[in-house]
Parts: sequence; C-alpha cells; structure tokens
Amino acid sequence: MWRPSADARALRAARRGDEEELERLFRAHWPRAYRAAYLVVHDAAAAEDIAQEAFLMVVRTLDRFDRSRPFGPWLHRIVVNRAIDHARARKVRGEVISDAQLDIAAAPDEPPLDEQLLAGLAALDPEQRAVIVLRHLLEYTPGEIAELLELPRGTVNSRLRRGLDSLRERVGEELR
Amino acid sequence: MRLLQRIQAPDEEAAAERTWSVVRAAYREREPVLRSRRRARPALLLAAALAVVAGAATSPGRAVIGSLRKAVGVEHAAPELFRLPTGGRLLVNSSSGPWIVKADGSKRHLGDWRDAAWSPHGLYVVASRANELAALDPQGHVRWTLSRPAVRFPSWGGSTADTRIAYLTTSRLHVVAGDGTQDGDAGGMPAAARVAPAWRPGPGLLLAYVTTRGRVKSFDAAGTSAWQSSVLLPHPRSLEWSSDGQRLLVVTRDKLAVLRGGRPLSLRSERVEAATFRPGTHDVTVLRRHGPTSEALVGGRVVFRGTGSFEDLAWSPDGRWLVLTWPTADQWVFVRVTGPRKIVAVSNVTRQFGGGSFPTLAGWCCSAP
Repeated sequence: MWRPSADARALRAARRGDEEELERLFRAHWPRAYRAAYLVVHDAAAAEDIAQEAFLMVVRTLDRFDRSRPFGPWLHRIVVNRAIDHARARKVRGEVISDAQLDIAAAPDEPPLDEQLLAGLAALDPEQRAVIVLRHLLEYTPGEIAELLELPRGTVNSRLRRGLDSLRERVGEELR
Repeated sequence: MRLLQRIQAPDEEAAAERTWSVVRAAYREREPVLRSRRRARPALLLAAALAVVAGAATSPGRAVIGSLRKAVGVEHAAPELFRLPTGGRLLVNSSSGPWIVKADGSKRHLGDWRDAAWSPHGLYVVASRANELAALDPQGHVRWTLSRPAVRFPSWGGSTADTRIAYLTTSRLHVVAGDGTQDGDAGGMPAAARVAPAWRPGPGLLLAYVTTRGRVKSFDAAGTSAWQSSVLLPHPRSLEWSSDGQRLLVVTRDKLAVLRGGRPLSLRSERVEAATFRPGTHDVTVLRRHGPTSEALVGGRVVFRGTGSFEDLAWSPDGRWLVLTWPTADQWVFVRVTGPRKIVAVSNVTRQFGGGSFPTLAGWCCSAP
C-alpha cells in the first residue's frame, strides 16, 4: 500500500534524478487524481488535461516543493481547484454534458457503474461536486476540505449536506 | 457513497500512459533547462543591464550603439535576389499576395491571395482570401475556386493520383479533393486551432491537425481508419511531418515536441521562433532568440547568428541550403550546411515583394515542372 512517507521518499529520489521513483509516485496518484477531475468536470478529455497539468506542475516545482507538506493533498488541491474552474467556465459558456460524455468505461472485472450517480453529480454545482469528491472519493474530512479549498468549514458542511440531499433524491438508498 | 469509490473514469489506463509519456518527457528535460537558467539568468541580466547603461551613458558609447544598429545584417549582402543559390522554387507570402521565385531569380506574383502553399509535387499552389479557397497554377492562373466563409490555412497533400486540400473555416476543419470537388467538414472531429494542418508525406491520406485544446489529432482523410490523439500541447503554432512521415514536429508558444505515434519522443521547454525537419533526416532545425541576438541551429549546432529577430526558415529540396528570414535586417540569409559553409545574403527583401510588411516563406519546392 502506498503511504505518505513513500511520497516523500519518491519526491526526494525524483529530485535527485530517479525517474523510476517519479513513475512510482505518478502511478500511485494518477487514478485518484484523474477520477476526481472526471467526477467534477464529467468530461474525460478535460479531466485528463487537468490531471496532466497537475503532474506537470509536480515536475516543474520538484526542486521547490516544501518537503514538510504532504504531497497528496497538495496534488488534489490543484486538481480539484482546476476542475472547479473548468466546470464553472463550461457552465458560463452554456455547454451541455452529452450522454456520450457520461458513459463510463468499465474494466471487464469491475462492477457495473451507476449512471444515476453520475447523472446526479452532473446536476450539482461544480462546488458541491468538488466537496463530495474530496469527501467520498479522496476521503478527506470536512476540516481538511475546508483547508484545501480555503473555505470556512460551515460552507464545506453545507455544500456537502445540500449536495448529498440532492443526490439521495436521485439515487436513494445506494448512497448510504 | 461507497459507489463513488467504484467508479472508473473512461479509458483510465490509456490516459495514464499518455500522461506519463508527457510527464516523463518534461522530467527528462527538467534539469538542463531549469537549473542552468536559474543560476545564469540574474548574472546575465545584470551584465546586460550594466553594459547598456555604460554604453548609453557616454557619448563614445552612444556612437558604438549607433554603429551596431547600422551593422545589423550580413555586410556584403546582394541588393537584390539575383538568383537562388541552388535549384527549386521558393513560395513567398507577402502583404501584396503570394510570389514564386525561380532558381534564376525571376519572380511571379500570383495575385491577391494569402496563405499560399504548394501542392505535393509543386504543380499547383493553393491559396485563400477572406471567403474563398483557390487552386492556382505557378503562373497565377486560377484553376478553381470554392466560396466558404473565413477560409484560412490551406494545406495540400496526397499523391499524384489522389490529392486533398485541408483548410479551416474559423475553427472547423474541412477537406476538399484536389480538383475542388467533394468538399466537406471533417465530420465529428474536434474544433481546430489556428494552425495549418499537415499531410503526412508518402502514400495514403493521413492528416494531422491541432485541436483548440492543444491535442494533435491524426486521421485518414479517406475515412477508412480511426484517428489518433496526442498528448496535450497547449498554444500550438506549427505542425510538420518529417519527410519519411515517421515523426511530427509541433512548435507551441513555449515547447518544441517531436511526436511518434502521438507520443512525445522529445519535449523541450523552449521558446523558438520557428522549427522544421531537415529534408531526409530527423534533425530539427530551429530559429531561436537569446536576448538581443538570434541563432539558427541544425541538429543542435549553431550555423548562423545575428542581431535582432529571425522569423522563418526553409530547406532547399536537396537539403544542402537553409534560408532564414531576418526582418530586423530586411534580409534573407542562405546558409550552405553541407561541405564548406557558405553564406549568401540578400537585402531589401520587403521592397522586392511589393512593400508593406516583411514577407514570409511558404516552402522551397521541387524543381520546375
């Protein structure tokens, strides 16, 4: 299992030029970063771009990265904030999420995917989607989310509550 | 909400591989670029600032700067383009329209068109104006036209038997047959950035273009195979295949990428004015600026350096001569790269192509048909 101490070791090695360690770090964090972006923007190409930009920022700031800070929350903060910006811009432009964009490809051994949940998430504001993704996909506490997004904790709690209420109306018991 | 943990985003593994290839390329480029620049930049800036202040503060200093300004350009440049240093024909876009320059130095104005580009074998030229696409012969006779709104960046590809022209209307990519028929939107393809599409040399009709998001897409314009997508390369400026069709050179605002099969073979964080493959090789020729000077590099070796900006470059069809344009000096400079180095320069370029703004090169093509 990948741990925060492994992040720190990988970053140190990558700073010294160890490409294998950088790849290890990338492989450990890619799935959650990409999924988080996808669940906020609901557009696979945009999510890939957002996650890619975040990892390129890792490379660009490798030498300056504050070793005392945990890597995962730093990465997730970049991904989720960019995803919120992207989703807001889409909303302003009035772009519609097509059914094709909501299609999710499952690996053959994966359980079936819940399109209702995706449709429910897509109906929420980007800010509500982001806190739900941070809480229930990336498993941050409301206090940590407040720090990551630089929001009052009350705002995080209310976004979580309203977002989950709205999702429950669509998806029902599955959310428990 | 455990459901959220089970959801996989589309194409996760392929997306990871695409992204890792970009991240790895950026990482491999990181050390030489970031570290050396960071250390050198303050010292260089300080030295440059001191030199300028010292130069400007005294009257002898002012005189030196004045003489340097006058000395920009190759000193013994010919006053006119009397002849090309080797065979082939140059296609030039100027504010008065496109021109063809033959090896003997004769020039022919093709009319009031813009964005001219050669057909694959130099038999014709495609060009555009506000709402029109046209095929012209090298004498400037119009063979056919097609009225379409806001036509830009036409590019002609294919074999002698079957050719196609790709062009943009605002951000839509269109493809029309070489005889002006069967025009159509390249159906379903994502919107295109304002960069000329590029046809892969050789058999088939493989077309590459850049989307507005900065992905290079390549697809078979005959419609028989699926398209391929590259890594993200935002702010693209030009796109070009190597002459063997194996590699694709992408210049962006701050990167230089060589792709093979959509994946970067190299990705350099570098701001360049222009770049192209040397014919018959995978060597990349680059024009880049370093403070007050610019330089031309072939395969990493500086072949010419001068004050001010270089803008365009083109290789002679035989790959022996490179021409670069130098707006600061109003000159073109031809550099022989094989054998003993030779430099031939031509002055007063703007005037020779109708005045107005400094002309741009659109290719040095094959010998006269």
